[in-house]
Amino acid sequence: MRRPSSPLTVAVWAVLALCPLVVDDWNLGLLAQLMIYGIFAMSLSFIWGQGGLLCFGQALFFGLGAYAMALTTKGLLPGVPASALVGFLLALALPGTVAFLLGLALFRGRGLVGPYFGIVTLAAAVIAERLAVNWNYIGGFNGLLDIPPLTFGSGDGAIEIFEPLPIFLIVFGAALVVYLLLLGLERSPFGTVLRGIRDNEMRAAFMGYDVARYKAASFAVAAAVAGFAGALFAIQFAFVSPAILGFALSTEVLIWVALGGKEVLLAAFLGALVVKSVENVLSDALGQYWLLVLGILFILSVVLLPRGLLAPVFRLRLPRGLRGGG
Amino acid sequence: MLTVSDLRAGYSRGADVLKGLRFDVAKGESVALMGRNGMGKTTFVKALMGCLPHVRGSITFNGTEIRGLPPYRISNLGIAYVPQGREIFGDFTVAENLAMGVIGKPLKVDSVDFVFDYFPILAERRTQLAGTMSGGQQQQLAIARALVGRPQLLLLDEPSEGIQPSIVQDIAMTLKRIAAEEALTVIVVEQNIDLVFRLATSVRFIENGLIKTGVSIDEVRSDPTLVSRYLTV
Repeated sequence: MRRPSSPLTVAVWAVLALCPLVVDDWNLGLLAQLMIYGIFAMSLSFIWGQGGLLCFGQALFFGLGAYAMALTTKGLLPGVPASALVGFLLALALPGTVAFLLGLALFRGRGLVGPYFGIVTLAAAVIAERLAVNWNYIGGFNGLLDIPPLTFGSGDGAIEIFEPLPIFLIVFGAALVVYLLLLGLERSPFGTVLRGIRDNEMRAAFMGYDVARYKAASFAVAAAVAGFAGALFAIQFAFVSPAILGFALSTEVLIWVALGGKEVLLAAFLGALVVKSVENVLSDALGQYWLLVLGILFILSVVLLPRGLLAPVFRLRLPRGLRGGG
Repeated sequence: MLTVSDLRAGYSRGADVLKGLRFDVAKGESVALMGRNGMGKTTFVKALMGCLPHVRGSITFNGTEIRGLPPYRISNLGIAYVPQGREIFGDFTVAENLAMGVIGKPLKVDSVDFVFDYFPILAERRTQLAGTMSGGQQQQLAIARALVGRPQLLLLDEPSEGIQPSIVQDIAMTLKRIAAEEALTVIVVEQNIDLVFRLATSVRFIENGLIKTGVSIDEVRSDPTLVSRYLTV
């Protein structure tokens, strides 16, 4: 077996942290955007790689978070102060709650498993996209423009964050925090149970685990993280549209995570960064044929390296307690 | 401790495998449930654990009606199940498999190390992936995983299946020791008479979804016709 590689994991984060020293402003902004997609990819990695729930509509939660942030900071929610902090809280709470309730409804009783769960989540994302297109109050087809940048304080002393460097640093910090939180959860007893459920639900049930509750809880965590990524997207991009709720982005994130490696958070995170950067280069060179290349790559990866291209390199050792001997 | 009456259960509606079965186990007993293939042995333990969709009748455990409860609630009341085929987590290490046995338990379990007294091989192999171990070792792991949650009643479904005879003897002796030292009540579904003689204090014979007779282990020893009547095809 391959040696576990925590030094490599640390190195990746260190390299990202040092980027501002060598990367120009334009690319720094681009990198921040990629890391937002990376956070989104980690959310899917958690629910799919650990929980075994293949969510085909993860963009629903990303979009909910983005819209929550956009509507809040633009002051479009009656009675809700137009503050970024409130926006972040809503962007976590709204997708998390929706996922928890959806999860309880889907997993109770005999529960939806395998492809049926995927189809329902896909349908939910498509429905949300249609709703957003037709709902003029939230911008309809055109979406919401001119979302204010991240602002600290208010009045004359307010500081607006729109320079690439501070945005990069904020997104980097957010990505690292999300990574550490999800990693901690994966390596906690909760994570062990989740992987047990992934392997065999009935087995986990007769060993004393309320499977539906665990699945709904992990679904909610993943949705909240996706919503958080969406909120960052809204303030960084200053624009949200129904496209980020629906089918296309849901499929894209699936490809990033599958190519990177669904069971390893960092691999999924880098999967998003790498696929998106390659896309930027190749879509210039190949135009539409880029999608063909991506599709072929995806199929090859699923057939030849089902655990992902990057996962073997970034797999971490088990926590001491689960390795035993300690 | 466990009282089952008029138990009717099956895998689809209108096709009961168990047809009004009665069954009692007193605390501290080790009962073997024996019978030919297809008589309802596995169906019975699955019905106890709440793993079947269609179960009627009554199952009380320590005075609590558990029929109709979901499996996780039954498990948390103190019934542990070692299913046929062992069902360990193959991609998990031995230590992770044991962790799965305790994490969700309502009582705080301080340590799982006591099972290494019974199964020293597991201590040696804590970091090994369970799927790479031999059948006998996996069976020991499955039993240990059931024990770490400190159950009162242990259900074992064909623990000897696919394991070489010398290991079966070891496992039987260890189970006997565990039952005594941990004050466990045991129900074991088994066709291997050797294991039953080493472990059980009494035997119930099942036929066509009903318990036909219940006798002490000494009676089985002295009357070989019992075994041939209910076990040979």
